[in-house]
Amino acid sequence: MTAALHAELMKLRTTRLVAAMTGLAVALTALIGVLEAVTAGSGKGMAIPSLATPGGLRDNLASTGFALLVAALLGVVITSGEFRLKTATDTYLDQPGRGRILAAKTIAAAAAGALLGIAATATSTGITLGFAAARGYPLALSDPAIARYAGGTVIGAALLAAVGAGAGSLIRHETGAIIAVVAWGLVIELVVGATVTTAGRFLPYTAAAMLAGDTNGGGMPQIPRGVTALPYPAAIAVLAAIAAALAAAAALTTVRRDIT
Amino acid sequence: MTVIEVRTLVKRFGPAAAVDGLSFEVGAGTVTGFLGPNGAGKTTTLRMLLGLVTPTTGQAVIWGRPYRELGVRRRRVGAVLEASGFHPGRTVAGHLRVRCAATGAAWSRIGTVLAETGMSELAGRRAGTLSLGERQRLGLAGALLGDPEVLILDEPANGLDPAGVLWLRGFLRQLGDQGRTVLVSSHILAEVAQFADRAVVIDRGRLVSAGPVTELVNSAQPTVMLRTPQAQALRDALTSEGAAVRAAGPGRLEITGLGTEEVATLAAALGIPVFEMTTDTGSLEEAFLRMTATEGRPG
Repeated sequence: MTAALHAELMKLRTTRLVAAMTGLAVALTALIGVLEAVTAGSGKGMAIPSLATPGGLRDNLASTGFALLVAALLGVVITSGEFRLKTATDTYLDQPGRGRILAAKTIAAAAAGALLGIAATATSTGITLGFAAARGYPLALSDPAIARYAGGTVIGAALLAAVGAGAGSLIRHETGAIIAVVAWGLVIELVVGATVTTAGRFLPYTAAAMLAGDTNGGGMPQIPRGVTALPYPAAIAVLAAIAAALAAAAALTTVRRDIT
Repeated sequence: MTVIEVRTLVKRFGPAAAVDGLSFEVGAGTVTGFLGPNGAGKTTTLRMLLGLVTPTTGQAVIWGRPYRELGVRRRRVGAVLEASGFHPGRTVAGHLRVRCAATGAAWSRIGTVLAETGMSELAGRRAGTLSLGERQRLGLAGALLGDPEVLILDEPANGLDPAGVLWLRGFLRQLGDQGRTVLVSSHILAEVAQFADRAVVIDRGRLVSAGPVTELVNSAQPTVMLRTPQAQALRDALTSEGAAVRAAGPGRLEITGLGTEEVATLAAALGIPVFEMTTDTGSLEEAFLRMTATEGRPG
């Protein structure tokens, strides 16, 4: 297991995948964060409340919604990319224990997702606090609250990357897996959450976004109205359970398939 | 001593059998050509041998055990199955570092295998910028990281230019001379005959023949081509010896049914000068046609 994990982490260090995906996450966070900060308190369209209020600060700190989705895609590419690039053959030749490889990939994806989450939350926090300070607002959120949302972003990104790794192992076809994850995050969770509000908070993207500070009816992508956030530890447990369930499903099905 | 053993191996994909009751052995320290036309089941067999494809029935083992159960000895088996199985953005050295991490091979081997495969100057190049020949060499470098006793290579000459093929031929022979056991698949008999000791020939997933490669080459009934100023006289003499002779231009003959030495001896005995003589050992497909015709199987 140690060798497999070492190899998977080295794979990530020897390509630009993590840097590119982190760059994309930071760019999306910065775009949304700045737009939200500029329009905060204007009352126009989907503008968030003023950065002078706790709600406004929280919403701006949580401008990492698309970054969380990118973290899930990072996990997808880490696993399914092996089949697109035909590197799976060497991977399984070097380490025939397929369950071990899947576990190593899931952990490596979570580590990469955490890095992405750190970069994204640093971006949103910098923008939020910078705009609030520039406007001369006193900080309306406590330091622990800010740290809680930042930690939620990092944990959410890590676990969504692990979820993505499981999805990529199950679907294997990289483009198909990417489409499935994007559709899930942008459409399916919104529809399910809006129609069955009690179930919404157990869905992976929603749980991660709410860990990062999103509230119902807010966020980008939007969290459905009426969905209440799970307690912090429960949200982490739900995400970890979904990642484990996907990995287990993959281990019992697609991971056993022939490498042809 | 038998190193590789394939026992009544069967692999079905739906109703079609890619490998159909195949059995053969590869002895220690031999270079064995694994021959068959495209679609014969060579790649599927090698993948079953290496634990990537699960057999429907039968077994393929190395040192008496399935590849997955070799434990630390697995490191002493090197394999190249994909000519393009590299991340295009990863450097040559980076690729080898990943494989060292996965297998536990020492990092100091990277420089050694790069030198052995002539890739030292390309260590910093990204795999996506390598030519097909360079990628084949990188694949071989990866397979050599564990200083393997057994090497399994799937069509390593595919896509190589003549210089690359020449290099590969010498490289494989050198590996054999070092006492390593090499199993290398190909669909070109003439190529395998240059470096292999033995040949295992399969067609439609079944064994056609197994034995010394010279026997297989001889079974392909080589064509002797020569140029002589007394073509008619030599033709008559060769025909009377049972050879099939065809005129291939002014003063040129193509002879089958007799070997080079027999033709040359006959010409010398008759005092007929021969200016040029070459042998075409024929393609594997031609050999197959003859083999299947002998066995009464459809061609």
